[in-house]
Amino acid sequence: MSRIGVFICHCGENIGRTVDCARVAQSLGDLPGVVHSVDYKYMCSDPGQVLIKQAIQEKNLDGIVVGACSPHMHEKTFRKAAASAGLNPFLCEMANLREHCSWIHEDRELATEKAIALGRFIVEKIKYNRPLSTIYIPVERRALVIGGGIAGIQAALDIADGGRDVILVEKESSIGGHMSQLSETFPTLDCSQCILTPRMVEVAQHPRIKLLAYSEVESVDGYIGNFQVKIRRKARSVDETKCNGCGECQKNCPNKKIPSEFDQGLGTRTAIYVPFPQAVPNIPVIDRASCALFRGRAKGVKKVVCGKCAEVCGRNAVDFDQQDSFVTEKVGAIVVATGYQLYSIGKSQELDILRGYGEYGYGTIPDVIDGLQFERLASASGPTGGKILRPSDGKEPKKIVFLQCIGSRDPAKGIEYCSKICCMYVAKHTMLYHHKVHDGKAVVFYMDIRAGGKGYDEFVRRAIEESHALYLRGRVSRLSRDGDVIRVQGFDTLSGEPVVINADMVVLATAMRPQPGIAALAQKLSVSYDQHGFLNEAHPKLRPVETNTAGVFLAGACQSPRDIPDSVAMASATASKVLGLFSKELLEREPLIARVDRMTCTGCFHCERVCPYGAVERKTLTDSKGRIIKVIAEVNQGVCQGCGTCQATCPSKSVELDGFTDEQIYAAVNAI
Amino acid sequence: MQELRDLAKKLLLDKQVNAILGYEWDRRGARPAFITEAGDCDRLVFDHRCVQNLAAYLSPRRANIAQLGRLAVVIKACDARAVAGLIRENQLKREDLVLIGVRCGGVVVNPSDSEQLNAENIAPRCVGCEQREPTLADHLVGETQSAPVGKANRDLRLSEIEKLNPEERLSLWTSLLSQCTRCYACRQVCPMCFCERCIADKTQPAWIESSPHSRGNFSWHLTRALHLAGRCVDCGECERACPAGIPLGLLNHKVARIVASRYGYAVSDDPSRETPIGSYRLDDEQEFIA
Repeated sequence: MSRIGVFICHCGENIGRTVDCARVAQSLGDLPGVVHSVDYKYMCSDPGQVLIKQAIQEKNLDGIVVGACSPHMHEKTFRKAAASAGLNPFLCEMANLREHCSWIHEDRELATEKAIALGRFIVEKIKYNRPLSTIYIPVERRALVIGGGIAGIQAALDIADGGRDVILVEKESSIGGHMSQLSETFPTLDCSQCILTPRMVEVAQHPRIKLLAYSEVESVDGYIGNFQVKIRRKARSVDETKCNGCGECQKNCPNKKIPSEFDQGLGTRTAIYVPFPQAVPNIPVIDRASCALFRGRAKGVKKVVCGKCAEVCGRNAVDFDQQDSFVTEKVGAIVVATGYQLYSIGKSQELDILRGYGEYGYGTIPDVIDGLQFERLASASGPTGGKILRPSDGKEPKKIVFLQCIGSRDPAKGIEYCSKICCMYVAKHTMLYHHKVHDGKAVVFYMDIRAGGKGYDEFVRRAIEESHALYLRGRVSRLSRDGDVIRVQGFDTLSGEPVVINADMVVLATAMRPQPGIAALAQKLSVSYDQHGFLNEAHPKLRPVETNTAGVFLAGACQSPRDIPDSVAMASATASKVLGLFSKELLEREPLIARVDRMTCTGCFHCERVCPYGAVERKTLTDSKGRIIKVIAEVNQGVCQGCGTCQATCPSKSVELDGFTDEQIYAAVNAI
Repeated sequence: MQELRDLAKKLLLDKQVNAILGYEWDRRGARPAFITEAGDCDRLVFDHRCVQNLAAYLSPRRANIAQLGRLAVVIKACDARAVAGLIRENQLKREDLVLIGVRCGGVVVNPSDSEQLNAENIAPRCVGCEQREPTLADHLVGETQSAPVGKANRDLRLSEIEKLNPEERLSLWTSLLSQCTRCYACRQVCPMCFCERCIADKTQPAWIESSPHSRGNFSWHLTRALHLAGRCVDCGECERACPAGIPLGLLNHKVARIVASRYGYAVSDDPSRETPIGSYRLDDEQEFIA
């Protein structure tokens, strides 16, 4: 590159205040190869861009360096300007004179010297730039949504309504997720099932949605626009094509005493069951661990122990020999909406960092329950038909103590984050309790009340003022059984007094945690996660629903604790991202990706092991007669994100990152 | 010794392998031997003078050896770590080799050293070596050995150097490395240096200056030490081969200690174990970015 143009921007006062831009332009103009060097007040403005375009054409420039702000800000702007003047956009580079210089220095003299050095750095680098062309990759315009809770349902419906096919995978036998378990929802107190089940039915009936319930993602290959997803269809033991959901099997199953997961263990179900009457799809599943027939089989009993469900099924849909099967789907984008689980606060925990709360006797005192269990008690479809009754003796509790922040915001127990929904749902619980038990007294122990959101604080005020919930600021140190009641020993920090309350029931607002197995799923998708297992977004503010793996998006509580409005908003956001991605047949990619030198690659595959995106593939080189010469690494253009980890790791320096080749870096370093 | 010879004979006669790579006597102690005839197997020997790491011959780049076809190789525990490294880094397939493990109680520094192994002449790297026999072997021969005892202590030497201030340390290494003539014997003898084109031979750009000048010498030896981080099997061949007597083993040992303390990793002869340089972990320490 011998005809380089340098353009130094003042960025108003931003750079000009600390850096003598005219001197920088003059000094860089003296470098060999630089034929044009100017400074201007606002290079990104229209007249500034015209300066660049004119210079390219008049002086026949073959490379331009813009000394201005961060390339994150305006690299695209200037590359576009260069392209419109007929120069390959990748022959335009930026020197960051603002964030890297003027904003962080005070001494004008020294800052100017540094600005000259930064400019020289890029001038020397650009001498080794090559013209690059945009990469186009085809897009399979179908989406996969993982998780059929409210976030997954919303994302699937929005994408399908946008005209693209969706595959919705749900690991349970019915979609609906946690929202289907809730009684009423804050801040409007509308019935959860009443607003959710129509959406579930819509999913089942949508011509563009293929629902794969009782299925899990087994493996994910490929890259944005071109994922191959292998899905395990777990054996239901019921043929989905034959079953019409009449429910006879369930009625006749002799094993009726199995704790219902849907009712959080407060109710019972049969061994062949649908989790709740409004299930979608309304097809039962046999719980093989509880079914007498399968337990008999597992013990090696030859005789068929039971078989009532198959006998009563009019359509011969029950299939005891069904096996897991696999389907492979090709999709262009993946939405992860796997939701949350509640922190089970017993003493034994699967993660080392979690401590549990032995002092609250959860699991040993039957009337100490968690928030989801209270939802089931309050729900009209719940085990008590919506009556608030104690699990221990079925009596109506006259005093309930609610504890907030159980697990959340408690680094000593391993979770430092706020679970966000508990302040609101505890307020809701006190209201529901007041509505159902008029003479009941609700006491809430809280740390702070966090009720940010439209109508949220008003809602909590209503709980206090209209439902007469007593809010005590403080923590509870111990719960113990005292005859018929639970002794709650706590401390009211506002009055500075210890408090002892005899409660009939205690409800713990336990923390939200990501679903079990989230780490394994994240690894399949090459998505990073934090120490709690919440998936990481690409940028907390500007790219909240994208991940660092292109084509994989996040919705709902798999990313952090979310309430329903947040989850739905996020789901619609992912849908708009997916539809945006699908709006073109070909996907444009920046060509700043890694390239392997076939001649010198030794095939040690350190690059393959360190690549965070799984972009390195193995390629066998053969001669004209098909004899194997060697196996080398090759970079998949669609997957590579241009991070350069492989380039740094390769011992023989056989990987180059286009736009940041060894020669470019070497020239730049030597110029400092 | 007879056990080794009988085994080698059987492997050749049964056509399990085309050649045995082992050791034989020479007027200057032990030397590598390639045995292709069963009748020659009685030349095979092993004792504390068999210092060479025969895994260095297994790089696929050594075409004349690859031509021999299926090989059986005599390996000590440290050599087995090199074989494991080559398998881990896709240079070898385990099923293409028969590994004859020998029990080892330490070796001398040079093959021509004394017929008696004692605390004075034992190679410093063997002192503290905990592995008497390779686990990565198809056959194991030789008598049970006791742990080697010796006076040399590399950790002590390293901590002496670490006590020096940066200027003193720089001048120490400058004077040591100024002896280097860039003959690359260290590279040629190293079983883990198998690149098709070494970074030292790259010219566009020339990251490592090729003249035997202090700047180029530093970048060569430091790059080599870093490329061996978590990979060096501590066979001591680089130091033995160095005609200038540079204590290269010290550099490698220092890096191995850093790898052990930062990543809790020690080089093993288990090929399935991933190495720090070839693995990507989100929870890797990165306090240097801060």
